[in-house]
Amino acid sequence: MEKRKVIWQLPWGYRESIIIVLGIILVGFLLQISLGRFDFYLLSFPLNLYFGILSLGFIVLSVFLKKKPFFVWFTSLSFSVSLLGAITLLSIIMGLTKQVPMNDNTNIFTLLGFNQMTSSWAFVLVYLLILLSLGSIIAKRKPCLNKRYFVFILNHIGLWLILFFAGLGYADLNRYIMYVEIGETQWRVYDKDSKVVELPIAIELNDFNIEEYVPKLAIINQKTGEVLPKDKPQYHQIDTSFKDEIVFNGYKFRIKDYIHNAVRSSDSSYREVPMKASCPAALVELETKNGLKSHWISAGNKMQSPMFLDIDSNLALVMTPSETKSFISDIEVYTQDGGYYKEERLMVNYPLRAGNWRIYQYGYDNDMGKMSSYSSFELVYDPWLIMVYIGIGLLALGSFLLIIFGKNYRK
Amino acid sequence: MSWDSFIWFALPSVLLWIVASLLVYKTKYELVSNILFLLGISVFLLFIILFWQHISRPPFRTMGETRLWYSFFITSIGYITYRIWKYKWLLSYTALVGTVFILINLLKPEIHSTNLMPALQSYWFIPHVTSYIISYSMFGAATIAAIILLKKLRTQKEDLKLENLIDNLVYVGFGFLALGMLMGCMWAKAAWGNYWSWDPKETWAFLTITTYLAYIHSRIQRINLRTSLWILIIALILLCITWLGVSYLPSAQESIHVY
Ligand code: HEM
Repeated sequence: MEKRKVIWQLPWGYRESIIIVLGIILVGFLLQISLGRFDFYLLSFPLNLYFGILSLGFIVLSVFLKKKPFFVWFTSLSFSVSLLGAITLLSIIMGLTKQVPMNDNTNIFTLLGFNQMTSSWAFVLVYLLILLSLGSIIAKRKPCLNKRYFVFILNHIGLWLILFFAGLGYADLNRYIMYVEIGETQWRVYDKDSKVVELPIAIELNDFNIEEYVPKLAIINQKTGEVLPKDKPQYHQIDTSFKDEIVFNGYKFRIKDYIHNAVRSSDSSYREVPMKASCPAALVELETKNGLKSHWISAGNKMQSPMFLDIDSNLALVMTPSETKSFISDIEVYTQDGGYYKEERLMVNYPLRAGNWRIYQYGYDNDMGKMSSYSSFELVYDPWLIMVYIGIGLLALGSFLLIIFGKNYRK
Repeated sequence: MSWDSFIWFALPSVLLWIVASLLVYKTKYELVSNILFLLGISVFLLFIILFWQHISRPPFRTMGETRLWYSFFITSIGYITYRIWKYKWLLSYTALVGTVFILINLLKPEIHSTNLMPALQSYWFIPHVTSYIISYSMFGAATIAAIILLKKLRTQKEDLKLENLIDNLVYVGFGFLALGMLMGCMWAKAAWGNYWSWDPKETWAFLTITTYLAYIHSRIQRINLRTSLWILIIALILLCITWLGVSYLPSAQESIHVY
């Protein structure tokens, strides 16, 4: 039987690590109570640079002192696992507590920063310790050209770069919202506090368009507006190749014609007009007891009234309002230092990169839909993004190696 | 080839996969099983290609279309993983998960017409979700093995083979989990301008990852196996909360991940 080690006797193991990590969380709580939340914007350039250099200095120092009991422990697995446990615990609290942008210190939870976890001292301290210890762990390991080292180094350096640049770079990241009318050029934006500021970058909006999905059909109760069947509303997606007869909720009909950009041309018919006030319309032929009945139907929009087909005095066949497929801005971008960028189809998921800026399609006038006279953009300035991406790339490679090699490193 | 013909491709694929994943246990028929499994994937892929031609746009737009890709990638990647790791049950397991998505498509056809909102129209969508599904399957299997091992440890001394299996599954699962998350980051960056925003779903995904990391690192020194196995069980519970439970948490009522 092994003899149990006395606590605090070197080298430190799990018991000591857990106690120390809990102690650090406690210190974090005390700082939180006395100083309030950790203000990340204190860390904006150049303070984050000094801080970064300081941490690198610490990591270099740790390599020289790696035989000292403190650093042996600081880079040990027991300390690492305890830190991972601590960040998990704090994250569970965060995951269970509604996170709010403004704190009001009304009870013990908010006093300890649980509703703003990522800027609470406890969280920040644990994050920082992970960053430092991970750095020292990487630095002390002897490089060699085997699978094991590659798995280790890609994963740890990748993660370290992400933690380092996402954490320290956070204060330099700025996001703004800009609203631009069609045909105009705009320099002014709203910042995170909804204050108007002028940026060294401008957007000219040449055009804005919304593409819509082909709408669906539904049968509704004319009195209540409920979609049939009552307990499980059903919608029929219009098929624009209109070949087949459709049986829907027990009624038989055919779609004879469909116009995606339709404008009403007389009381009872539509024609194709590619303008913003147009909306989808379909000519539907319904089989009734008294023979065939055909009628144009349309969901309408701000400019056009809806049309539906009476099935009987109770029920009507209607078209649902179109869902937005994509909204697209045609923009030109100018920067103060003479930069020029152009994107004819800026849309969600396809941002435009302009130097350290990224421009995202953000929104439009929801009430007006296709007829919106403006488009809004999110402008994100993130000078450290490239380093985070390098980290993501390395970590992705490391993950790939984990999949191929597994734990055995497939000797 | 429209959705109406789906069943004529889906059923043969499922049948081929089932036969293959049964035959694989008979060493004599392993080659046959491999061929049948690949044939199943090919039949399924054929449908996707013909369907793609029919609708004359890439089939990425509706939930039903997305599930086609899940079934295809899960079986394909599952097959590759089986070839690398030689775990036969992996083939059966993969066939099962792939079949589930086919069944959903067959039994809930109205879903075909659910249109994807703009933020979901991204080439990251399918690899992101597929990667997560595969990692969930691996972790599920690892946890079952962990429970078996915990039981064994009460009577028997140890089972190194099982221990090894669990570790490998967790490493492979973690690889897919991390890839899934990183792809999610790239997607979020493109869609919302933010690669990480501590949205409740993201917070839960994060703490799930740190729990698996705790397991991985607790195992490097081979200390107290039981504790490690318990971490694995807790991790799966956290994983399930991340996957299914977050929508029900009061902290997540405004989450962007809850549709
Ligand atoms: C994505 C994240 C991570 C992955 C995939 C990962 C994976 C690994 C793997 C596979 C090993 C074993 C290396 C070997 O076999 O030699 C390892 C070792 C280690 N990891 Fe991590 N790890 C990650 C994050 C972390 C973090 C955040 C910490 C610290 C807080 C950490 C601390 C350690 C330590 C101390 C070792 C032992 C180092 C040594 O033997 O020199 N790891 N990690």
